[in-house]
Amino acid sequence: MSSLYERLGGEKAVDAAVELFYRNVLADGRIARFFDGVNMEDQLAKQKSFLTMAFGGPNKYTGKDMRKAHERLVAKGLNDSHVDAVIEDLSRTLRQLGVGEKEVQEVAALANSVRNDVLNH
Amino acid sequence: MTLLTYREAAIEIEPGEDVLSALLRAEIDAPHSCRSGVCQSCMHRAVEGNPPAAAQQGLSDAQKALGYFLPCVCVPETPLTIVPAREAGARSEAVVHSIDRLSDDVVRLRLEHDSDFAYRPGQLLELIADDGLGRHYSLASLPEEDSFVELHIRLHPGGRMSRFIAEELAPGRQLHIAGPLGTCIYEGVDPDQPMALIGSGTGLAPLIGVMRDALRRGHRGSIRLYHGAREREGLYLHDHLETLTKRHANLRYVPRVLSDSGPHGGDVATAALEHENALPHTAFFLCGGEKLVGRLKRVLFLKGASLKQIRSDTFLPAGSGR
Repeated sequence: MSSLYERLGGEKAVDAAVELFYRNVLADGRIARFFDGVNMEDQLAKQKSFLTMAFGGPNKYTGKDMRKAHERLVAKGLNDSHVDAVIEDLSRTLRQLGVGEKEVQEVAALANSVRNDVLNH
Repeated sequence: MTLLTYREAAIEIEPGEDVLSALLRAEIDAPHSCRSGVCQSCMHRAVEGNPPAAAQQGLSDAQKALGYFLPCVCVPETPLTIVPAREAGARSEAVVHSIDRLSDDVVRLRLEHDSDFAYRPGQLLELIADDGLGRHYSLASLPEEDSFVELHIRLHPGGRMSRFIAEELAPGRQLHIAGPLGTCIYEGVDPDQPMALIGSGTGLAPLIGVMRDALRRGHRGSIRLYHGAREREGLYLHDHLETLTKRHANLRYVPRVLSDSGPHGGDVATAALEHENALPHTAFFLCGGEKLVGRLKRVLFLKGASLKQIRSDTFLPAGSGR
């Protein structure tokens, strides 16, 4: 059986999803403030590597990287409710792109697997 | 044969080794994160040599054309000389060709340069004063048509570089430049695509460069140039641009003056957002201060413009780098 990443369409699928996902996240009043003042191109590249990870694609993330990358946001009050919002936005993005429900759930589970590292729990 | 040169130093690299690993082994503090060619945090620029295509995956057409690449997935086969992505590179000599006032506080500086200073219109260079002080300025000239590089410089009262320019520079005077830098260029644009060039103050300079480049390359789609200024006097190329629109049917010039209540009065960002409605299809070029560029980029993206089609150049306050 092929991997989740292959079933979703690999890098092309990530490219197709990344701008829509970022737009959904920026338009989400619950989390938009965490993106104030960031460089949008840098942020898009980060979203792309997050999606690659969540799609089960190649990545070399460690828990330490995740903690370090979100340190500043945790200090600004990032908590479980915000991670929930990101995963909701991600699932919505995939549904907008016509991804099947089974894959949506698998992606959500992968995204959820880094929750504790992101929140430094 | 040295396969890898970083700034001016040869770096040892093993056969099959990626550039990032070699840099880190040489104790160069290169930023990095995913090490899979995705997050782009390790981006560098090749100032000599061509990085392999695999090392440029996911970058914009402009970045590819200008030698940007990702060291973590770059295994060089031919020699490369590289610098960090935001560094101007080695300096070279230039001579003042002319210096003229365009308005109360804007001067047009034209410099003759070495033939090996290759640039694309819309990029920027670092101008270096005698004491080593450096500032970034955008290029309004066209290498194919101009024997000089042209910069539009706003003089700030009390600014160190402004004083150097106003008091020291005259035709024939020598100084140094470095670069070019920046990716706000006519690349990855379809000849029939609508273009929107939006800028304020001397953010007009790179837009002029891009507009001239597009016209020279026979761009067929519409080109709308929005220029904002605080006072009427700040529309420092108004008459020249009005004349140009008469020569090119696809060119429109939309000036906006903040302090004015007439037909050209108002804020340039608001005017552009009102007029631009084919967002997903338009190639955007945004140049000016952080507030203007940041606001436009965010609003355009949220309304449906692709970030890949939004090229920008943000002017940061003096001394903060760019």
